[in-house]
Amino acid sequence: MELPPLSLEQLSKLAASNTPSSQLFEILSQYETDASIMSAGSGSAETGAGDPQLLSLFYSSFFFAHLLTKQLPEARALTKRMPEALRHQDPSLQNCLTLLQALWQTQHAQVYQILRGLPWPESLQPLVRRYENFFQDDTLIAISTTYEAIRPETAANYLGLDPQAAEQGDSAIIEKFTSCGWTWDPAARLLRPSPIVVQPTDQTSSNGIRETMAMLGNRGR
Amino acid sequence: MEVVEGLMTQSAQLREARNLSDQSYDRQIRENVSSLRRVLSTKALGAFASNDSLLDHFDPVADSLVYLFLLRAQTQAFQEEFRENVPAALLPPGNLWSRIVSYLRTFDPVQVRYAGQEWRQLVELVAQASQVPILAVRLVRDAMLRLDPSCAVFTSTHLLLARLCLRARAYTHALPVLDRHVCHFPTSTPRATSGFSVLPCAAHDSSLSFITDTSGLSSKLTYKDYLQYFLCGGMIYMALKQWCKAAHFLEVVISMPTVGPISMIMVEAYKKWILVTLLEKGKLSSPSNLIAPHVVKLYQSLAKPYVNLAHSFSRGDLAHLEAEIDAAREIWCTDNNMGLVSQVLGAYTKHTVMGIKQTFAALTVKELSEQASPMRMNDEATESVIASFIMSGALKATLVQNSTRGSPTMLRFSEIHSAPRLSDESKAQSRLVRESQSLGSLMNGLDEIGYHMGLSNEFIDAVQRGQTWAGVGDVNSGMSEDVGLEIEEDLMGEVS
Repeated sequence: MELPPLSLEQLSKLAASNTPSSQLFEILSQYETDASIMSAGSGSAETGAGDPQLLSLFYSSFFFAHLLTKQLPEARALTKRMPEALRHQDPSLQNCLTLLQALWQTQHAQVYQILRGLPWPESLQPLVRRYENFFQDDTLIAISTTYEAIRPETAANYLGLDPQAAEQGDSAIIEKFTSCGWTWDPAARLLRPSPIVVQPTDQTSSNGIRETMAMLGNRGR
Repeated sequence: MEVVEGLMTQSAQLREARNLSDQSYDRQIRENVSSLRRVLSTKALGAFASNDSLLDHFDPVADSLVYLFLLRAQTQAFQEEFRENVPAALLPPGNLWSRIVSYLRTFDPVQVRYAGQEWRQLVELVAQASQVPILAVRLVRDAMLRLDPSCAVFTSTHLLLARLCLRARAYTHALPVLDRHVCHFPTSTPRATSGFSVLPCAAHDSSLSFITDTSGLSSKLTYKDYLQYFLCGGMIYMALKQWCKAAHFLEVVISMPTVGPISMIMVEAYKKWILVTLLEKGKLSSPSNLIAPHVVKLYQSLAKPYVNLAHSFSRGDLAHLEAEIDAAREIWCTDNNMGLVSQVLGAYTKHTVMGIKQTFAALTVKELSEQASPMRMNDEATESVIASFIMSGALKATLVQNSTRGSPTMLRFSEIHSAPRLSDESKAQSRLVRESQSLGSLMNGLDEIGYHMGLSNEFIDAVQRGQTWAGVGDVNSGMSEDVGLEIEEDLMGEVS
C-alpha cells in the first residue's frame, strides 16, 4: 500500500490514531527510508540535514512504536541509526535515550517519572500516554505472577502510583489491584496477587500442530 | 526509435504469451531475454539508453523483463559517462534510484528467473548506491522474498542482506530471511519433481528448480560465503539477545566439516559461541558431536582466554572471573567481543541465583545475598533485581513479601507455589509452531535430498565436481576473512 508522504501532519495523525501497535510499527518502519534520505542530504552543522522537527518527531514516534511492540534491543539499535547531530541536540530524542536507559535497567519508578515529568512535544503526547498505559498494564501482569504477597507500596511503585498513599491503604489504589482479582488482607496489610491471564491471540496454532503431526505420520508410512 | 518500437513489440508478445502454455511462455521469455541481451551488449539503444522517459512506456510489473534491461542500460550509460561504478544519478533520491526502488518492490518474480544475473546486479547496485545502508536493507530483503518466498536456496544475496543489516544496525529487518531454513545450494541442473516441469516459468514446489548455478540469481559461491552468512546471522541474533538462535547459527559455522586447518571465521565463531552459550545456559556446553575431537582441541587452543573465562564462570568464582576479564581485556577488544564479555559478567548474577535453586527450595533475599557472592547490593535492590529476573521469565520462582518494611522477603523456587503461567503455555505453543514450521521445511529438504541421492552416480559426480569449491582447510588461518564487516559489538555499553 502506498503511504502518504512523510510529514508532520501525517506523523501527528498516526500518533493520535488507534492504529494497532504492530501496524503502527510497520508504517513507521516504511517511513525510515524517507527519513534516512532526508537526513543524508546536506544541512546545517548543528542539526544535520533535513527538517529537524520532522526528523525528531519521526524518530521519537518510531522509538515508541518499538517499545509498544516490546522490541527493546531493536529500539536501542534505532537510537544508533538516528542522525548523530540530531540525537545529541534534540530534547525529544534525548528524552528517548533517558527512557531507554531506565527501561534497560528495569527502573520502573524512573520510567514513569520520565514519561510523566519530561517535556515531550505536543504531537508525541498521545504515543507517550499510550506507552505509559501499556507499560503499566504489562507490569501489572508481570507482578501478578512474580509475587505471592506484596506490600501495597511496592506494588504502587511498580505501577507508578503514589507509594505513600498506598502504604496508608488508600482505597482507590487498593481497588486498582482488587479489581484485577487480587485479594487485600487488611490485617497483614498485604496484597495477594492472582495471576492475570492474557489469552493468546493466535488460535490457529493448534491446527498447525495437528497438521505437522499428520505430516510426520504420512512420512513414516 | 526503431529499437524502442521493437522493445514494445516484444513486450506485447510476452504479455500475450503469458496466457498460453508454460512451454510457449518459456519460449517467448527466452527469445526476449536473448534479444534484450543483444540490445544491451551492442548498445543498440544509443542515446536512448540514458533517456529516463523511455521507462514510461513500460510497466515494471507486466513488462518486468524489458524494464529490468532498460534499467541496466541506463545504469551502464551513467557508469560509462561518469566513469564511476555508482554515479551520482543513481544515488537516492535521484530519479533513477526511485525507478529502481519501485521496480524491486513490484517486479514479476517469474520473468526475472530468466534474467537472474541482471536482477542480481541491480540488487547489488542498490546495496552499493545506498550511502546509508538502511536504505537498501528493506529493498534487498523484500526483493529476495519476492523472488523466492522460501529463501531455502542459499544465494550470494543472503550474505549481502545479512551484512547490510549488520552495517545498518537494523537487526530485525533480517529476521524474515534468517528465520527461514537454508536447505540447499544452487545446483547445476534444475530439478523436476513428479508432476512439475523444469521450465523456470512453471509452478514449482521448490525454488531449487529455478535458482541454479547457471541462473545468475546468485554469484559464484564459496564455502566462506556460507560460513560468513551464518556468522553474520549469529551476530544479528546476538544483537537481538536471541541467544538460542545465535548459538545455533554459530554452531553451524564451527561444525563445518574440515580435514585440514580450520579457518579464522570458524575460530571467530567458536569464541562467540562460548560467550553465547554462557549467556544462554550459564555454562560451557559441549560442542556438537559433528565436530571432530582434534578440531575441538584446535579450537580450544586458539581460544584459550575464552575457555578460561568459561571455566571461571562455571566454577562460580567471581573474583577469578573478574580477573580473567581484566587480564584479557585487550583480546576481547581486538576480537570485537568486549560487549559480549561485559554481558557475561552481568549474566553471572542471574545464573548464580539459578544455581542456588538446585540447593534451596526457599530462602530470604538476605540469605540469597550472602549465598550469591556477586550481589553487593542492599536487600531492597537485590529484591528488585530478583523480581526483574522472574518478570523476564529467566527465573521460575515467586517472591513473598512480609507485611512490615525491612522484614525479609522470601524467594520460593518451588514450582508448587508458582502460579500457573499461561505465558509458559503460550511460549511452549509458539515453540511447537516454530518446530512444526522447521519440520515442514526439513521435509521439503528431504524430498530434494532423496531426489539427488536417487541419482546415485550422477550425484556422486556432482559432489566430486563440487569439491573444487568445498575445499575446506586450505585457508591461511593467519588472516581474518571477515575484513570489511564493521560490526558493532558493544551491545551493553552506556546508552548515550
